[in-house]
Amino acid sequence: MPNDVFGSLDPRGPVAAEMADVWWFMFGLGLVVFILFAVLLVSGLFRDKGSDRGMGSSSHRWIVGGGVVLPVVVVTVVFGVTLAAMRILPVGGSGDAVVVDVIGHQWWWEVHYPDHDVTTANEIHMPVGRPVELRLSSADVIHSFWVPSLGGKLDLLPDRVNTMEFSADEPGEYRGVCAEFCGTQHAKMGFLAVAESPAEFEAWLATQSQQAAEPVGEVAARGREVFSEVGCADCHTIEGTDAVGTTGPDLTHLATRETLAAATLPNTPEHLADWVGDPQEIKEGVNMPDLPIGEEDMAALLAYLEGLE
Amino acid sequence: MSDRTPGHVPYADTPTVEAPSTDVELDRLWDDPPGLWGRLRAVQNDAVGRRLILTGFFFLLLGGTVDSVVMRLQLAVPDNDLVGPQLYNELFTNHGSVTMFLVILPIFEGFAILLLPLLLGTREMPFPRLGAFAYFTFLLGGLLYYSSTLFSAVPDAGWFGYTPLSGPEFSPDLALDFWVLGLGVAEVGAIAAAIEIIIGVLKMRAPGMTLARMPLFAWAVLVMAFMILFAFTPLIVGSLLLELDRGFDTQFFNPGAGGSSLLWQHLFWIFGHPEVYIQFLPATGIVSMVLPVFVRRRIVGYTWLVAAMVAVGFLSFGLWAHHMFSVGLSPIVLSFFSAASMVIAIPAGVQIFAWLATIWEGRPVWKTPFLFVVGFLALFVLGGITGVMVASVPFDLQAHDSYFVVGHLHYVLIGGVAFPMFAGVYYWLPKFTGRLLNERLGKWNFWLLFIGVNVTFFPMHIVGLMGMPRRIYTYPAGLGWETYNLISTIGVFIIVGGFVVFVTNVVHTHFRGAPAGHNPWGGDTLEWAVSSPPLQHSYSVPPIVHGRHPLWDQKDLHGGDLDDERLVHALSEWPLRWRAALITGTSDADPEEVFRVAGPSIWPLVAALGTVAIFAAELLKLRLGALAGALVIVVAVIGWNWPEDAAITEEEELAFEERHRIPVRVGGSLALARWGTGLLILFLGIAFTSFLLAYFYLRLENLDWPPPGISLPAPGAAVVAGALVLAGAVSMYRALHGIKADDQRRLRVGLAVAAALGGIGVAVQALEVTGVVFDSQTHAYGSIFHVMGWFCLMVAVAGIVMALMTLYWAVRGRYTARRHVPVANVALYWAALAVIWVIGFATLYLTPLLT
Repeated sequence: MPNDVFGSLDPRGPVAAEMADVWWFMFGLGLVVFILFAVLLVSGLFRDKGSDRGMGSSSHRWIVGGGVVLPVVVVTVVFGVTLAAMRILPVGGSGDAVVVDVIGHQWWWEVHYPDHDVTTANEIHMPVGRPVELRLSSADVIHSFWVPSLGGKLDLLPDRVNTMEFSADEPGEYRGVCAEFCGTQHAKMGFLAVAESPAEFEAWLATQSQQAAEPVGEVAARGREVFSEVGCADCHTIEGTDAVGTTGPDLTHLATRETLAAATLPNTPEHLADWVGDPQEIKEGVNMPDLPIGEEDMAALLAYLEGLE
Repeated sequence: MSDRTPGHVPYADTPTVEAPSTDVELDRLWDDPPGLWGRLRAVQNDAVGRRLILTGFFFLLLGGTVDSVVMRLQLAVPDNDLVGPQLYNELFTNHGSVTMFLVILPIFEGFAILLLPLLLGTREMPFPRLGAFAYFTFLLGGLLYYSSTLFSAVPDAGWFGYTPLSGPEFSPDLALDFWVLGLGVAEVGAIAAAIEIIIGVLKMRAPGMTLARMPLFAWAVLVMAFMILFAFTPLIVGSLLLELDRGFDTQFFNPGAGGSSLLWQHLFWIFGHPEVYIQFLPATGIVSMVLPVFVRRRIVGYTWLVAAMVAVGFLSFGLWAHHMFSVGLSPIVLSFFSAASMVIAIPAGVQIFAWLATIWEGRPVWKTPFLFVVGFLALFVLGGITGVMVASVPFDLQAHDSYFVVGHLHYVLIGGVAFPMFAGVYYWLPKFTGRLLNERLGKWNFWLLFIGVNVTFFPMHIVGLMGMPRRIYTYPAGLGWETYNLISTIGVFIIVGGFVVFVTNVVHTHFRGAPAGHNPWGGDTLEWAVSSPPLQHSYSVPPIVHGRHPLWDQKDLHGGDLDDERLVHALSEWPLRWRAALITGTSDADPEEVFRVAGPSIWPLVAALGTVAIFAAELLKLRLGALAGALVIVVAVIGWNWPEDAAITEEEELAFEERHRIPVRVGGSLALARWGTGLLILFLGIAFTSFLLAYFYLRLENLDWPPPGISLPAPGAAVVAGALVLAGAVSMYRALHGIKADDQRRLRVGLAVAAALGGIGVAVQALEVTGVVFDSQTHAYGSIFHVMGWFCLMVAVAGIVMALMTLYWAVRGRYTARRHVPVANVALYWAALAVIWVIGFATLYLTPLLT
């Protein structure tokens, strides 16, 4: 499972690091402001009034000093830091960036590598240290792309392409989520950003650009037939077969993926069986229906799917 | 004098209002009629205000408390299956919608309507029937919204209802129609109450209460009411467009047909951000009232506080896009909205330091209202600091739509708004019940809420930074979120404990609260000079005010300028058969008119039923029902404004006028009518501007405008129609000049010509719009063309109806050189309609030529 636990404050890439720096700076400044306020409030409430008859004209100096000058100074500094950080943050278009098209669906992520003719889902592989240019759009409603430990959010809109760029400093699997409410299963619309060494990344691309593995053995071969017979192929594509549906994720290399159902379950044979057997139980409201599949056919289907390396 | 200076205010040793022998008679005159039928006709500000507050509190228990407990239970542990995704989505949609539309706003409008006459030293609000209408629309809208549960079609697209998720394709059932239409009715009520509040504050104050002497709560609700007008109107326009997409197949928000997915977000947040300050400003108004009384010092920096509130009002309209930092705006736009969002820290800082300075000058008296004020200061400053943080774009891209924002907004809305609300209830409830709330329970109430809010919402900041997004019904184990979520869930039960103690305290007080007396807190403002509870009309002898703290600085509340003194005393003796109240100058508060306040009436309820019928008809797709609803409204408005029996002779009236040199308006106030017309025009202007914004936004989003295959309609007929309408407006002004010179003939001819020219113009333009070759359902261009065209036509039709009604009364000889305010009002309306018409059709026919 993802090794990243402490989200946006545990940055693993330059973009998230810059954002975390802005946070820690503002946190320090905010703490100072709050302590200043708290001291003034508490001492005002509990000071010994004795014969003191108020502050006379100095009270207006409070308002000018504390109410105008202090916020102006704080806000100017914070805005300066904001602008400086915005200047540093990449907006996309770096020469050597890996281009990735991400298309949001209710409730999964379609992922293309246009320069390599690779299509996958719910998993973005990236070489460590090299920027990734993400071109984001949506096939239906508005979604938002967020990998806290690599960078901030950007929305996926149905009527335009938004571009952002990030990179990872070290190998790892970084959890990403949809951050804009997008309907019933918004909660289970996750993905993984997998940062790996350039060599591993190239190897991965090589695997992914191949056609689907031929089923090994009779059972798996029967599974490929079941895939078409029961209707899986209406929604899913498996390259090299007659399954060319596009409403659901491309399954050509399903077995190479870390997770199932948009980062809802680890991709193990047991979970695959659960998921295919009863998707509505695992992800209530998902567009994948519970299909009536006999026990034998199901075993064949699973055998086939597990072989899609 | 010196013994009354603050710091030495002895409890209850403050002046009270005179209690003349007519108290009882006036009290009976002003009372609402008894029985159920009487209650349905009740219009008194205390009835309307109390109903708004109680209904708002009821919705708070339903949507604020029950929902949040279930949601927190679901999130207490990972992978929980207490509730499924659908129910959870319905719960958070309901929680946001109810608290933002049906709780805080009506409660503060209720506070305003209940308190303003007392605070301002007058007997009523200016339009009691409008107040009753506002309440019924709010109630019926809330019920219409909630009735979705009966039809198992509960809204589930969030309180923000982003398109296209909320559009016809992705939310095809009725759930979102309940949301748009139910809340739409409630929004109508909010605007009605806002108009009532604006005019009440500006025109109905005690003699001598200049703007600069107004209690700060009155300033706060004045700014709030203007903001409601400017913010809710674009929302109503946006909701109309969304409902047209859903019910009439227009394409405003459909990217596939020229619409824009982001147009809704702009229209929504132009409302949605000011909405936060609409809720926050009255809360600061309460703090500015309560705090000085409990530290026994005058508020420091009154002028600064007023300036800060006005500044917040303006600024809040310039920062809506900070809710949209992640939609892909350009860096320039991001920087602008980031800066604008941070600048609002300055007026907030002014307020905080004015309160701190006041505390430093005074000596705290630790009663419950003051505890809530101190709690407010601590929580609000925390929420304000995180507010500046999320205004910083790079950080917000991480924090946005995460639990960090959930934590931030609840610090602001509970700490910054609910705490002052509790302060206000503990402070003012004794005035209306005559009994003090229990202090012991009050302290429990405070500490449970204060601890509960921190336990619930502080951990959300951390878990948000750890990457937990909002609006998820469950989350996997192993991400390190478990502990924080469990703590938040425990916290919500502490908050519920605080609510239980509060309700217990109110009930307990009802039966055995200690008597409050006139002025239990040693307050400085007028409401503490009347009995608790007050008489129905509050003041038999209206007070005369000489400063900001009349009860601390004046020994006598009815002394002053001799004319004023005689006038306020005369009002306790005459009239005793109709409800009279004073209109005073907008800034100087000099008496201007004695007018007859409208009495109990069933028509506001009927009009509200008509309004809800229109919305319900759209919901049920019974479009004829909408026509029936409109008819009901027309009948109700006629009944509503039907002249009441004069109840006095003209001689009586003239004698009073002569003695006090002040006009007596038994038929209703002319000054109020003028203000009402002005605000109506303002409302139409804001709505029209919202349409223009939608038009140009769609145009910018489309490369081809009009889209390929459609040619721009030729402007010939539109030019003719525009010329006719302009000529009508000119004729209307000729009529006005005619009656000013007492020329009845010119008046009638002018009105008739205006109505005729306008009518022909409308007919020509209506034929032209219905005759264009493109429809409203194929492309967003056609949608906005038709809808904006029909908006302008409807505005003109209303003007023609007004012209004809004026003509009817003109023929009957009702207007004179001195009394013709309706003519002037209609002429003003025609000037506005001509401007809207010309800009509107020039936009539709001519601007596409400029590329």
